[in-house]
Amino acid sequence: MTGAAPDNSPESPGSVRPAPVDPPGDGRPAAVEFRGVTKIYNEGTSREAVAIRDVSFTIPDLPDKGEISTFLGPSGCGKSTVLRMVAGLEPQFPPTRGSVHVLGREVVGPGSDRGMVFQDYTSFDNRTVLGNVTFGLECRGVPKRRREAEGREWIARVGLDPRRDAAKYPHELSGGMRQRVAIARTLVLRPRIILMDEPFGALDPATRLDMQDLLVRLWREVEATVMFITHSVEEAVYLGDRVFVMATTPGRIAAEIRMPAADAPAREAQVEPWFHEQVNQLQAQLEAIEAAASRPGN
Amino acid sequence: MTEQTEKAVPAAEAPLPRGEEPAAEGHRIAPLRGELSNTAAFFWGFTCIAGVLAVWFVITAGPPGEAEKRMVSPTTLPSVAETFQAIPRVFGERKLVTNTLVTLKRVCLGFGLSCIVGVPLGILAACLPALRAFLAPLMVFGRNIPVAALIPLTFFFFGIGEFQKVMFLFIASVAFVLSDTAAAVLDVPQRYVDTALTLGASRWQIITKVLGPLAAPSIFNSLRLLFGLAFGYVMLAELVKFGSASGGLGDLINMSQRRGEREPILLVLVIIPMVAWAIDRALWWLQSDLFPYRYGGAGLIPRFCGWLLHGRRTEFRP
Ligand SMILES: Nc1ncnc2c1ncn2[C@@H]1O[C@H](COP(=O)(O)OP(=O)(O)O)[C@@H](O)[C@H]1O
Ligand SMILES: [Mg+2]
Repeated sequence: MTGAAPDNSPESPGSVRPAPVDPPGDGRPAAVEFRGVTKIYNEGTSREAVAIRDVSFTIPDLPDKGEISTFLGPSGCGKSTVLRMVAGLEPQFPPTRGSVHVLGREVVGPGSDRGMVFQDYTSFDNRTVLGNVTFGLECRGVPKRRREAEGREWIARVGLDPRRDAAKYPHELSGGMRQRVAIARTLVLRPRIILMDEPFGALDPATRLDMQDLLVRLWREVEATVMFITHSVEEAVYLGDRVFVMATTPGRIAAEIRMPAADAPAREAQVEPWFHEQVNQLQAQLEAIEAAASRPGN
Repeated sequence: MTEQTEKAVPAAEAPLPRGEEPAAEGHRIAPLRGELSNTAAFFWGFTCIAGVLAVWFVITAGPPGEAEKRMVSPTTLPSVAETFQAIPRVFGERKLVTNTLVTLKRVCLGFGLSCIVGVPLGILAACLPALRAFLAPLMVFGRNIPVAALIPLTFFFFGIGEFQKVMFLFIASVAFVLSDTAAAVLDVPQRYVDTALTLGASRWQIITKVLGPLAAPSIFNSLRLLFGLAFGYVMLAELVKFGSASGGLGDLINMSQRRGEREPILLVLVIIPMVAWAIDRALWWLQSDLFPYRYGGAGLIPRFCGWLLHGRRTEFRP
């Protein structure tokens, strides 16, 4: 693991919860592993741009549990590049150098074993909520009756009303509801890895807290590994079991920090003193990293 | 200080309302790109029609039987009354309704063929860059071809019957259908493709389940506009003829021209845009009903088809 500074321990006065320790390695392949990954866009042309350089990190595959890793960093530091590489989406994938491994296998392209939720609403406008949620099952050839039953189940699980909302079209939904549909659509396929690129970035603060609770609840249910990009330090601390702080020019991982798990609902947990402590600490660290990056000659 | 402020206040206040008033007024009467009430819209449209009729009336006015006293001679432009007196003749002797239907049938066949060929090929061209590059010269050629020069050529190739007219329309419109369809598919944001990929869709499924359906509203919109274009083209083809009368609106105009009658031509000129407009409105209604999520229609047809296909198993929206 790169760049884990020694003073990363979240333990400090006021911090009630101890940071968890990595479980002993039991030989399981890592959920996600980056090995010396560099991505250069338009290499060899005048528009050459280094998005990330020599990024290596490992997210372990915790049996029957999974982990939420959050990615924090300034705009343009390569967060989306990292996530889309795991998803296998072009043009971020394939890496210019290095390799990306998911559950022990090198990523060769996109697939439904790695679900993704985007910040921009990507509900298929021509499909109802139910049609959107069952899209992946339809592609797999699951019979209509069965996939619709499963779809309704997931519509309920993400907090929508299967009776009233299933037949609605995306343009009749609020932003929060659209993201609920996007989450249901991804989770119905039971992916082992869930990739989320600022999924709640466009939502208002109250909706955002609801969505955080929803995510934690569902994540416990599906026991998947989550990679979650956010701009909000609070969100990174609340959701993250592990926070990757990224820095820019070139994009790289500046720090990897273990976080204590928050087990209270978002509204309660985010007013507790230990939480504020944690946020302030991370904020300071973020500022230090950004200051170091913007220092002349660096 | 006080003096200055006292002076400054009226000086600053006085021009402000004056400066704002015309702006506010302009905002009320002619809001930039704004909505107009139905009444106001009807008023302005009616004013335009009335204006044209008035000009026509004035320049062709004169005492009966003294045509040489008119501003414009009746051989150039018949008067309003003379034109409208020709209505029974145009509908009876000249079979306006039959001829319109003949023309419409030709447009539907020729343009329909363009759609059957152009839409699937356009979708594929958008998805497959090599096919797109392969078709690019044909599209450039087809879009810029001088349509009038195409008419004699189609006579050589396809004879002088119905087939020639259908093929003429097909050749004249297929390139537009193809390139508009390809553009609509290319306009679908990449994030939908990315989403489908992460949901496990195959390339073929992305074309049939994502790109095609998401581009469909734009494609339909293009087809509606191109239908109007095809309607104009077919009359051009009907104007040029060999041998016996072939029917259609172009033929009607042709016949009137040979007999030196201006009134039927003018009437056809008035009636055709109305027919075209009515068709366009009908297609627009169809479009908004088929794609309620895009154009806000009621979605009656999709719901009816869903009911036909799945019967009682589908849940109905209240
Ligand atoms: N398709 C692309 N072509 C060229 N440069 C790109 C492309 N995508 C991203 N970049 C560049 O790579 C860097 C990292 O981008 P990104 O991963 O989107 O950052 P983040 O998500 O952290 O804001 C940015 O400087 C961006 O300008
Ligand atoms: Mg980004």
